[in-house]
Amino acid sequence: MTELDTAADPGLRDRVVDEICALLPRVLKREVADATADTTLMEALGLSSTAALELVLELEERLEREISVEDMGREDFATIGTLAGYIAANLLPEEED
Amino acid sequence: MTALLDVAVHLPEQRVAVEQVASRYGLTPMQVKVFRRYHKLGEVRRDPDGGLIDLLRAAIAGLDGLRGREKRVRYVVHARTFPSVVPYPLHPVHDLCREFGMEQASAFAVGHHACASGLLALDVVGRLLAADPDPDALALVVAGEKTFTAEAEILRDTTFFSEGASACLVGHDGPRDRMLAYAVDQRGEYDDDAEEVALAFQRDYAQLLADTIRAALERAALPLGAVSALLPHNVNAPIWRQVCRILDFPLERVVLDNLAEYGHVFCADAFINYRTAVQRELLRPGDHYVMAAGAGRGAAFAAMVFEH
Repeated sequence: MTELDTAADPGLRDRVVDEICALLPRVLKREVADATADTTLMEALGLSSTAALELVLELEERLEREISVEDMGREDFATIGTLAGYIAANLLPEEED
Repeated sequence: MTALLDVAVHLPEQRVAVEQVASRYGLTPMQVKVFRRYHKLGEVRRDPDGGLIDLLRAAIAGLDGLRGREKRVRYVVHARTFPSVVPYPLHPVHDLCREFGMEQASAFAVGHHACASGLLALDVVGRLLAADPDPDALALVVAGEKTFTAEAEILRDTTFFSEGASACLVGHDGPRDRMLAYAVDQRGEYDDDAEEVALAFQRDYAQLLADTIRAALERAALPLGAVSALLPHNVNAPIWRQVCRILDFPLERVVLDNLAEYGHVFCADAFINYRTAVQRELLRPGDHYVMAAGAGRGAAFAAMVFEH
């Protein structure tokens, strides 16, 4: 099992929060100060839903894992924490060689 | 009761990948990937050698139900996303009335509901036919536009547009595809380029569209469970996933087949998807279906309920 293999890993969501915070300046094309799990994506950061999907794609590359977006709803885009929670629970299994 | 008598569509043959369109507007590879992977958009159609009249002509020419009934057509209506689609003094719809032997018809355009104007046009001709003294009078609703400006090629963060057209013959009554109800919600407060308004519009879009679909079904006195198929506007897949989640409606009943191949064909989407639903035999006699569209510019949401 790799360290990102399961959503049951209690630290996974927190690590995804850190990854999202690190990626935000790249997606928003500006500096982002003091972002936390509670920071709202749309209201506080001005992140559009498409930019949020761009962030998900960036995360896929960073984590080297595919993320299922089929069940993603508006509530998952509320804060960095809710998005991280969704992603942690929706990492697709690694394909076997 | 207003009824659709025949529906024909035309999509030009030239296929253009969304990457090719995006390259002209400075989208990053990641932004294009979002369109292809999540929005499920892949290609659009173009007719580089033809004008608007050629698109509309091809759709009308495919309308078998019109043959021999041209003189009964009282109204020819072009449903438009954009208020201006050809330079003055061109009038392609008037020219087509002459070409197809419908000189007697009153020809005009309806718009200002952006891509929801196709349903508005059906409502308008339904009212006109109901008020017409001739019970056999017919109306022809055409839709389709050229991707003649940047805004007509791509809506950033949202969709890519295709050239194409639809033609729909409408009667005051008919044996099938009878219009049971229409609901429209115009939300002018979202017609603004300010960033916070654009974000609020994104946040509220699916809910407003879902509410409009519910309102139309309420007017038709039908439960959501009675809907066999939802014929969407082909804006993108996430919008319809969200609408389905809000409504608790199965996504597989939303006819999204044409999204990847055509993208958003202005006001013609619902008619294109109607043809697909018929070809796939998704509609049996007596089945109920909903045509629905939400439009950004001017912010209009519309839904229409039919009995096949």
